[in-house]
Amino acid sequence: MPARGWPKAFASAPGDREALAVLLSLVSLTPRRLLEAARGRGSASACLRAVRAGRLGSDGDRAYSQKLDGAAMLAKLSSTGARLVAVHEGEYPGELLDLFDPPAGLFVRGLPLGRLQPRVAIVGARNCSPGGGEIASLLGAALARARVCVVSGGARGIDAAAHRGALDEGGASVGVLGCGIDVAYPRQNRRLLERIVESGALVSEYPPGVRAEPFRFPARNRIVAALAKAVVVVEGAAGSGSMITSDHALDVGRDVFAVPSAVTSPLSWAPHTLIRDGATLIRGPEDLLVDLGLEAADAEAWCAEGHPTAAGLAGAERQVWEALTAASPPDSLARRTGLALPEVVSALVGLEMRSLVRHLGGRYERRAQKRGSS
Amino acid sequence: MGEPTLRVVYGRVFGVAVVGVHGCLINVEAHVGRGLPALTLSGLPGAGVQDARERVRPAVESSGLEWPLRRVVVNLSPAGVRKDGPGFDLPIALGVVAASGQVPGRHLSRYAFAGELSLKGELVATAGILAVAIAAAQGGLQGVVVPEANLAEAELVEGLQVVAAPSLAAVVDFLRGEWVPEPSRAPRAPPDDRSSTVDFSEVRGQGVARRALEIAAAGGHNALLIGPPGAGKTMLARRLPSILPTMTRQEALEVTRLHSVAGILAGGGLVDSRPFRAPHHTISPAGLLGGGSGFLRPGEASLAHQGVLFLDEFTEFRRDAVEGLRQPLEDGRIVVARASGAVEFPARFALVAASNPCPCGFDGDLRRNCRCLPNRLDAYRQRLSGPMLDRVDIQLPVPRLTRAELLGSDPGEASSIIRARVEDARDRQRARMASSSWRCNAHMPGAMARREARLTDRAEALLSAAVESLTLTGRSFDRALKVARTIADLAGRERVEAEHIAEALSYRAASPSWEVAQVG
Repeated sequence: MPARGWPKAFASAPGDREALAVLLSLVSLTPRRLLEAARGRGSASACLRAVRAGRLGSDGDRAYSQKLDGAAMLAKLSSTGARLVAVHEGEYPGELLDLFDPPAGLFVRGLPLGRLQPRVAIVGARNCSPGGGEIASLLGAALARARVCVVSGGARGIDAAAHRGALDEGGASVGVLGCGIDVAYPRQNRRLLERIVESGALVSEYPPGVRAEPFRFPARNRIVAALAKAVVVVEGAAGSGSMITSDHALDVGRDVFAVPSAVTSPLSWAPHTLIRDGATLIRGPEDLLVDLGLEAADAEAWCAEGHPTAAGLAGAERQVWEALTAASPPDSLARRTGLALPEVVSALVGLEMRSLVRHLGGRYERRAQKRGSS
Repeated sequence: MGEPTLRVVYGRVFGVAVVGVHGCLINVEAHVGRGLPALTLSGLPGAGVQDARERVRPAVESSGLEWPLRRVVVNLSPAGVRKDGPGFDLPIALGVVAASGQVPGRHLSRYAFAGELSLKGELVATAGILAVAIAAAQGGLQGVVVPEANLAEAELVEGLQVVAAPSLAAVVDFLRGEWVPEPSRAPRAPPDDRSSTVDFSEVRGQGVARRALEIAAAGGHNALLIGPPGAGKTMLARRLPSILPTMTRQEALEVTRLHSVAGILAGGGLVDSRPFRAPHHTISPAGLLGGGSGFLRPGEASLAHQGVLFLDEFTEFRRDAVEGLRQPLEDGRIVVARASGAVEFPARFALVAASNPCPCGFDGDLRRNCRCLPNRLDAYRQRLSGPMLDRVDIQLPVPRLTRAELLGSDPGEASSIIRARVEDARDRQRARMASSSWRCNAHMPGAMARREARLTDRAEALLSAAVESLTLTGRSFDRALKVARTIADLAGRERVEAEHIAEALSYRAASPSWEVAQVG
């Protein structure tokens, strides 16, 4: 039976939203199970009565549900600036109903989700490389300039870079959390999550206070995928969660894009596997915007050949730049250019000062460039 | 009529107390008098000297001499000087032997005696003999009587007769005029012969590391090598002594004396190659800095005097041990305080620290992903910064080279070639700083560094731009200046130019990871 079969009146009667708040706190009521119960019983209040009577859900949940007070929960929510958005309510994103197991409700903080459209997701490894983070940031920025909202998981690494890229450009971002809306996870991202709320929204299917656990992330990834019209995978090692996100995306018919990188990097596994399986290869923001059918006038080129800053290089700096086709230690560059090692090293420092190269563990590599940076 | 007068006999012999690295002449007086047979030591002997009581009598008897069955008192004066270590066996034994009339006293006052005795009366290799010999010479004595095994080091003191004896019996025979030591059999160490077995020509690739170590050697800068396991950090550090300037004889003597006091000379003579000390990271503060109860030994930092102290796995060292290195890095000496006074050990060394870039070791590696969580990464990086490493002017990454990078690399220059450049640069520094009390760039205070640099205009501009774009702190600014001054000295330039600044900046401390640097 199609998932769109959520009863229209599930959360519309008085008391239903309070009941929903309690239902969402019950561990044994997975979204799918709740959906099936709802089809039988029609409303959230009816479902809750069934739980409290022991006819639905586990014994543990029955006991727990007796202790919860839905009205108090909703009041507490609104005092923290959050709200519960139930299925079929105006703000509830209809795209989520494409899922096999859409959430019955979402806890939200921030702007109305209806205003945060269109949405594209950027996902990838937590322990990404600096290059990958840079790319995610540039993609986020480009989408923001094109007035697209960037969706991601609020995790460190690619997610955080994508969020920041969009926010720094003055755009909006939606973070889907694998924990309660009030829990800052990881701790280092607390400030970032606040920024997301200021110009976008934080979303979670878990009630406030729920801690982040690894098993919640795959479930959260399906919401990231369904909320967006496309998913971009930037980096991911074998076994990465971004594969789960892209699987969900394919299940609900969203486009999947992937950014390639050096085959020797373990983090290229996920994007390359996806590309082999048919995801669209994008070389940078320009490709992404073109493929999404968005105005590409503001998009910037990926590599910096012909780029004003790189074009302005002279002498040793130019020679070293041109020889720097892959991450190299200065020795190799000295051999390639024929320059003396001290000269190569000072040229590299000059390039570093112009933000054209990055130093990583003894090797130097080119950085992706934003057009118009000085 | 009075009681029959007992013949009271007295003997006096010179011994030497080694405190720190200096020896102090001690009068070892022995008195054989009325009373039950006993041996008493007075004059505040330390635990090591108290031990001598047990050894001396068997040694004397094994040497075919008599031990007086009277009350024997041995006094070590002046009492205020700390006396410790095993070198007093010989003078105490001789004092008693002289006091009991078994040895003529007329030669005794010309020599200082030192050495540990075995129960059979043999003279055993003893620590600190060089310090003893120096003290004897400074005290105006004609010579020194020491164990045979320590002949080579005692001979380093000029103008001093060295009697190297195998046993107490031989010493007694010598004093009776019945034995003469054979002419010196110790092989003369060929002067200035670099017997170092490691050389920079054995290093492939890692041109940046070789260059950085050359700069470190030239300017006396400390260095931190950061890289994954197997990258070659130890191999590089081990070769640093081979490019440091050749030691002067005075410096070599200093080192030999330290090693002698520590008991690690192993019968050798002059230590002519710069030491390389690589203590394990579990070392205690006393082991690293010196001390211990009783006989104060020099620590690894002092044993690295005039050489290289290599601290591998720097983050694993005990904090209190590492903190104690601040003083020697500042003024080249370690002061060990004790209730009886403070003892100073010289400790001017080049510090080379090595570390992984992160707990798993593979941050920044091309082939293996770093699996460290941010908290652990931050905590680790914290340990790589801080006041200790603020004194490290040169930080360089040592990557694990790929096969292609290794195969494509040229063999390195020989150490002797690099050393020649280093020595030239040092000469220029000394000449430039002749009117100050510093002799190398690394020790210059910040204000002086700015003056000595004599930056060209382009260099000034570059440095200002760098402060902005590379977010230099005040300290990294000073460090960059000093390193640039050394680079200019290596290039034979009077003024520091822009490319020297640029290269110096490449050795600055690694900035926090791009991720940690984001706020919000």
